[in-house]
Amino acid sequence: MTDDRGLSHDEALERAAPFVLGALEPDEEAAVREHLRTCPQPHDEFAELGSVVPALAEAVEQVEPPPALKARILAAAAADAAAPSLTPAAVPIATATPAPVPVPAPAAEPIPIDSRRRGPSPVSWFLVAAAGIAIVALVAVNLMTLGRLNSSEQFQRDVAAVLDAGAQPGAVTAVLAPTETGGPRGLAAVSASGDVTMAVQDLAPTSGNEVYEGWAIVGDAAPVPLGGFTVGEGGTGRLDGTGVPAEPGMTLALTREPAPGATTPTLPILTAGSAGSGAAN
Amino acid sequence: MSADDSAAPRGTATVVDDDDRRILARVAGGELDALEQLYDRYRTVAYSIALRVTGDGALAEDVLQDAFLGAWRHAGRYAEGRGSVKTWLLAIVHHRAVDAVRRRRPTSAMPETEDVSPRALTLPDVWGEVSADLDADTVRDALAVLPDAQREAIELAYFGGLTQQEIAVRTDAPLGTVKGRMRLGLLAMRKHLLERGAGP
Repeated sequence: MTDDRGLSHDEALERAAPFVLGALEPDEEAAVREHLRTCPQPHDEFAELGSVVPALAEAVEQVEPPPALKARILAAAAADAAAPSLTPAAVPIATATPAPVPVPAPAAEPIPIDSRRRGPSPVSWFLVAAAGIAIVALVAVNLMTLGRLNSSEQFQRDVAAVLDAGAQPGAVTAVLAPTETGGPRGLAAVSASGDVTMAVQDLAPTSGNEVYEGWAIVGDAAPVPLGGFTVGEGGTGRLDGTGVPAEPGMTLALTREPAPGATTPTLPILTAGSAGSGAAN
Repeated sequence: MSADDSAAPRGTATVVDDDDRRILARVAGGELDALEQLYDRYRTVAYSIALRVTGDGALAEDVLQDAFLGAWRHAGRYAEGRGSVKTWLLAIVHHRAVDAVRRRRPTSAMPETEDVSPRALTLPDVWGEVSADLDADTVRDALAVLPDAQREAIELAYFGGLTQQEIAVRTDAPLGTVKGRMRLGLLAMRKHLLERGAGP
């Protein structure tokens, strides 16, 4: 069969090996893709040869990427999700190279903007904040985004405080994810000296002597109380406390306690996250 | 290689694939913590391939950002039955890496497309079948046992980002010969991996 680009079935098969290895010129690659898309005949050769390619990646000496890359990627993705009107290239993304490879446009064929990019994603914008610690340029964008997505200016200020704290040398940060759907979520930072800043939203209001208590858990050690805070109808809260010095991998968690001064957490844990290094993460 | 999928007992690959698909479905739903999970699983192998192709740490970082952003945007286009999530992701990484190095050369540029896994390329594959039983040394062996010319052609294409025409010039061989070397080399690798994966 010859498709409308003039590539016969045999010609396509002949290009199977360079195709699966990515060694065709762009026009040839496009022609093969078109052939694969339209030709009803079997193309087992492509599958057979292509099946080996993933193994090639395993043959490479394994190297860990710099820790900071994770935050950079998450920030870029979060910004992408939170700002549907911005093209990827327009998002100010810090890069490690003087002349970075531009974030490419979407695929050649039209790709609809996902509905997720048209509305707020609670997890997304928390990670905007978390990742923004490493990317100063994004912080401003993210905070503006927060303003669009959440009317709580107080919470916005609280997140900014966590960002500031997490940007200090030796600090760690953690994204606090709810343990149950719809539960509270937030962001926390622990300084090298053990000062803790935590911003949480989607909290039920406290009543009476109730408080929300933060906890730090390092390894198998008992949870260390970090301090408590009360919550009003706004559903957001901020903790400024002290616990144990920052340590990557430490767990930060939040519980609801019947009264201030708890020395052991009252289960369930409402939200928790594992800390990565802050500014360097 | 990520700790999540290395040296796993037989059958674990399927479990990993299932986990990956669940994670990717969440990525498609806009959950950034799922993207974080995906990154944590494959950051090492992804970065390693990007670094090998580009030979530049900073550029490899850009490639990874590009690739994961592509996965983030187009996770919904991943289709089960077209290979594992890992294969899909690494194909994006490799594609971006080759694109990056070709942009540095005046020769050619890659077409911009996320569809790096045409259906015929990612049918149930040898790697998916046996990867749980293989380690990196076995894969390196599969490359090492190839005749020099076949290995060179594959490495220049996959790791060097050269087109077949460029390889023909570099190795001073006819284009048809280069294609043949790639094909025979890949088939020999497949046979080697299947034997190691299926046997004790």
